[in-house]
Amino acid sequence: MIELTLQALFSGLLAGGYYATVAVGLALVFGTMRIINLAHGELVLLSAYIAYAAESRYGLNPVMAIPLALLVVGTVSMIVYALLSRIRQDREINSLILTFGIGIIMTNGILTIWAADIHSTTNPWFQDSLVIADTLFAMNAEIVAFVGGLALMAAVYWWLNHSWQGRAVRALSSNRNAATLMGVNPRQTEILSFLIAALLATFAGVAIYTGKTVFPALGHVLTVKAFIITVLAGMGSIHGVLIGAVMIGIIESLTVTYLSASLQELAGMLLFLVVLFVSPSGLFGGRRALAR
Amino acid sequence: MRHILLLAALVVAYAGVPLLFGGTPYILGLIVAALTIAGIAVAWALLGNLGGMVSFGHAAFFGVGSYGSAVLSMKLGVPVFPAVLLGGLAAALASVAMLPALRLRGPYFALAILAYAHIFQILATEMTPITGGAGGLLSIPRFPVLFGLDLGGKTGGYVIILTIVLLSALAYDAVRRSAWGLALKAMHDTEVATRVVGVPSTHLKAAMLALSAFITGVVGAFNAHFISFLEPDYAFSSTWTVLPIAAAIFGGYRTVWGPVLGALAIYLLDQLLFKPILPHGHQMVLGVLLCAMILLSPGGLLPALRRRSTGERHAHA
Amino acid sequence: MLTLDGVQVNFGGVQALKNASFAVAEGESVGLVGPNGAGKTTLFNVISGVIRPTGGRLTFRGQSLLGLPDWKRARLGIGRSFQIPRPLGHCTVRENLIVAQRFGAGINDPKRIDEILDLLGLRDKADADATGALALTEHKALEVGKALATNPSLLLLDEVLAGLETNSKRAFMERLGAVRDRYRLALVIIEHDLPTIAALCPRVLVLNFGQIIADGAPDAVFRNPEVIRSYTGETTL
Repeated sequence: MIELTLQALFSGLLAGGYYATVAVGLALVFGTMRIINLAHGELVLLSAYIAYAAESRYGLNPVMAIPLALLVVGTVSMIVYALLSRIRQDREINSLILTFGIGIIMTNGILTIWAADIHSTTNPWFQDSLVIADTLFAMNAEIVAFVGGLALMAAVYWWLNHSWQGRAVRALSSNRNAATLMGVNPRQTEILSFLIAALLATFAGVAIYTGKTVFPALGHVLTVKAFIITVLAGMGSIHGVLIGAVMIGIIESLTVTYLSASLQELAGMLLFLVVLFVSPSGLFGGRRALAR
Repeated sequence: MRHILLLAALVVAYAGVPLLFGGTPYILGLIVAALTIAGIAVAWALLGNLGGMVSFGHAAFFGVGSYGSAVLSMKLGVPVFPAVLLGGLAAALASVAMLPALRLRGPYFALAILAYAHIFQILATEMTPITGGAGGLLSIPRFPVLFGLDLGGKTGGYVIILTIVLLSALAYDAVRRSAWGLALKAMHDTEVATRVVGVPSTHLKAAMLALSAFITGVVGAFNAHFISFLEPDYAFSSTWTVLPIAAAIFGGYRTVWGPVLGALAIYLLDQLLFKPILPHGHQMVLGVLLCAMILLSPGGLLPALRRRSTGERHAHA
Repeated sequence: MLTLDGVQVNFGGVQALKNASFAVAEGESVGLVGPNGAGKTTLFNVISGVIRPTGGRLTFRGQSLLGLPDWKRARLGIGRSFQIPRPLGHCTVRENLIVAQRFGAGINDPKRIDEILDLLGLRDKADADATGALALTEHKALEVGKALATNPSLLLLDEVLAGLETNSKRAFMERLGAVRDRYRLALVIIEHDLPTIAALCPRVLVLNFGQIIADGAPDAVFRNPEVIRSYTGETTL
């Protein structure tokens, strides 16, 4: 019983790592632009399918697909940005609908190119399991994704706090007017946040391909999950996002272990609604600043 | 002149279309499906335009309405027409559970409603004794024969859904023109200012949510009895959210007839033109239309056409 | 008709109102003066229900206002204006008044709306878009008009005369007087220009640092040394 619980907690922690890499990107863009990019999950999915294509067609290790995936995902997210910045009126509603539409295009594009089948890596090393302390099991892929994701997020965290561009992102997120008055170039900073989000999405996509399974409808699921986590975190603190992601991961894996796999999504959704209604500014307060 | 045109349109809609396509059930079936989307699109537009709320979860109301009506007629023997209305009522009741979401703005509201839709879908799957679970409900009672007209057939279904859509659009129009409609559109930008002149803004928004849910529930109930079969993945499918949004945006959700025309155009184009070309990813075209509309003419097609013909600027709400 | 007893408002440690107590009788006109940041608008927000007090009691015609939402207070007969005009968006001037009348007064009386438009000199602009196309005086008049359309018995006016030039100010003041007499309103008006206050109100309340420091006839109040001190450098006395 205890072993089962420990394993559930461990799996939840690892799943939280995936979720966090997806959610941090969404939160960054929300910070600078006050826009929820509903196509964010589809960017992750796109990267996953590029890894799949590289592996199935050219026999490449999925990790080697990262540069190409980064190029494609970065380009697509720049297109998303360019389209978003053309919206003039009713920005809040119209940006939601626009990114929703982009998500539909991407999901169906992927469906057209790669069909509706479920894919995962064929490289056996990723699926080999690793035993920690005699009781906890994990796949190599999960460990790589968790460690890599954590390192990437730490880098982003450091960048936000220590580089000029990172500080500009934070400044724009906390007070747009003041930031532009102090000389922050909003367009440049917004583009930067989109690119960082694309980088995280690329990594997350390859990680999900190697450690889990991918299918066209997954993009939508990921967007919703990332949004839920961002709400739990309180819109815009990186470690809030991390804790929120791990919470969701653990709750889901406990639900699967003790109740039923079909209720996995329900637990997260209910937690989301409760937090939204009880404390709309999230569990960790700060809707204001990114990273702190 | 206006009245004559209106009368002519009604005659064409009620008599002309069934006469013309009565012999081609495939086309008539498509038109019924398009009107089903139109009904939801009107409900979505009412909430979006008057309530100022974007919903990504209208599938929840559709599903609750269809299951409510199907279960009432199958397990309790409620006649089909009252059951359809009760299905709408069930959806409105479900919207009561969403009242806390009214405090939320923009994306928060949109995704909270989406979460509800997921939760309802899971509940419908899990409540096997009532809903039949993932296996679904088979042979749901069809619409009866009334005044010699078999309402259970394609033509009968067409007449019913046409009536539902027309009544919904008229309801939308009536609310929009009333003092409620004025207060609702004033609320978007200046909620406090409307409250201090006596407008209970939250109540009004709740009423719009309930009305929108009711209409969507009735449409869902209609669909359940029309196709006579239900399963959770179908009844709560995101299709019932995606297509109506595309239709309402495409036609113009700040107008009454835009969502209806948008639904007819989008659904028929999708099924007759895009599906044969792109059998799997044909909804991609809907995404493209959605994006193009938001970028080029955020008000939708109907106001754009009107503007072109009168040179007038499109007005809010 | 309106009684405040020990009303307090705290904004995160800052006391915006400390222990405010006073009463306004039916049909009485009271000027509310005080330096910027003294808590005048906060007082209006508390009375109209836009913010909740952290302590104290409020009653209107014997009924406690605590726990009543803003829109219910409007229906009870408390009308207010905003310092920065807040016309109802996407509506014409007349529609602004229609919304206020239907919801605030619960009646549908186009004649009374015309009357209000006439009294406030807004007849020509009745069908103009309320958010654009209006001059400052008209915006201020519309603020008063929205409140009037709710059929109030107490009118709270927040600097409706501020920013107007002398002539239009005098004309507007006369209009306000006429409106007050026509509908037999009790009036509380925030205003910086003391002669204006003196002309309109037989009683003045002075607020400073969230406290009422003087209450009485204009002449006596404006000679009160504490009042003068609070105002030094603020305005002409």
